[in-house]
Amino acid sequence: MKKLSLLATGLLFSAGVLAGAADNISVQDPYVRLAPPNAPATAAFMVIKNGGDKDVKVVKADNPATRVTELHTHINDGGVMKMRPVPAIEVHAKGEAVLKPGGLHVMMIDLKAPMKEGDLVPITLTFDDGSSKQVDAKVVKPSAAPMQMDHKH
Amino acid sequence: MMSQRILLAIAMLLAALVVGVALFWQPELPERPLPKAGLAEGGDFTLQSADGPLSLKDFRGKVVLLYFGYTYCPDICPTSLAVTAEGLKLLAPDELARVAVIFISVDPKRDTTARLKEYVQFFHPALRGVTGTPEAIDEVTKRYGVFYAEQKVQTAGDGYVVDHSSDTYVVAADGRLVGRIPHATPPEQVAEIIRKYLYQP
Repeated sequence: MKKLSLLATGLLFSAGVLAGAADNISVQDPYVRLAPPNAPATAAFMVIKNGGDKDVKVVKADNPATRVTELHTHINDGGVMKMRPVPAIEVHAKGEAVLKPGGLHVMMIDLKAPMKEGDLVPITLTFDDGSSKQVDAKVVKPSAAPMQMDHKH
Repeated sequence: MMSQRILLAIAMLLAALVVGVALFWQPELPERPLPKAGLAEGGDFTLQSADGPLSLKDFRGKVVLLYFGYTYCPDICPTSLAVTAEGLKLLAPDELARVAVIFISVDPKRDTTARLKEYVQFFHPALRGVTGTPEAIDEVTKRYGVFYAEQKVQTAGDGYVVDHSSDTYVVAADGRLVGRIPHATPPEQVAEIIRKYLYQP
């Protein structure tokens, strides 16, 4: 009996160790904006939801389509747009972080090859506890209302 | 009973306070800037396109939209240009024939005319891209009240980004700077603004 409970505790414990922040994270509507010809950089947008009880930070993003991936935001300073890297994107417990044009985004710098509309770019988000999650973001043409693209089909 | 009296006293005190504030308090409200009234002088310019020099004067009789940006811009410029392009698509062909859109680079070091041409035509065939010497760009942006500044940021992306005004500038058929369209204005509104100046006597 004692052994069994020990085993159960051990299992619970290991589950607790393995379960990272990534398990509580879901990502909605990820997309990459198709870069115009000659544009060396583009951005990915998505809604990152945290179903867990603890705040989570996205500390890193990565993707195989560009040489550099960074987390950025825009500051609208009286109509002047200032793009700046951010060290992390916070996703509050039971909350969400919205990455959208004009604000937070995954900055994809130095495209290895031109992208095509409809390509899927696997983006890996790494969280502050070291866990990570991969999302497949579809490449879409820049549009005034990019979020609606998915519902047109 | 007692508590009612106290409540009444508090209510009267509060009322007196409100009256007192209304009578005697004259806060110095920060003066709100007049954004639209303070349009810059604008005026003619000649810059370089892939197809040779391009002057604003060449477009007399047309409503001209000016946007100041750069091709390394990953988000703001594509959003603005996509909105403008969709606004253009809402116009009738005869209306579109009387509209020009010029994308002026605020990154003359990196944006070449060939690069600009291909970049802008991705959004709409009516778009033209121009650049010039840093001095020429400085001069035009000053006259149009456009802010831009190279910023060294901690990014691996080629060393710098360019902060820049994100409005689209509207030049009427007579060459006068008449308005600014803020970033992320819906395409329907962009088309409406264009039509307003197209049909203005």
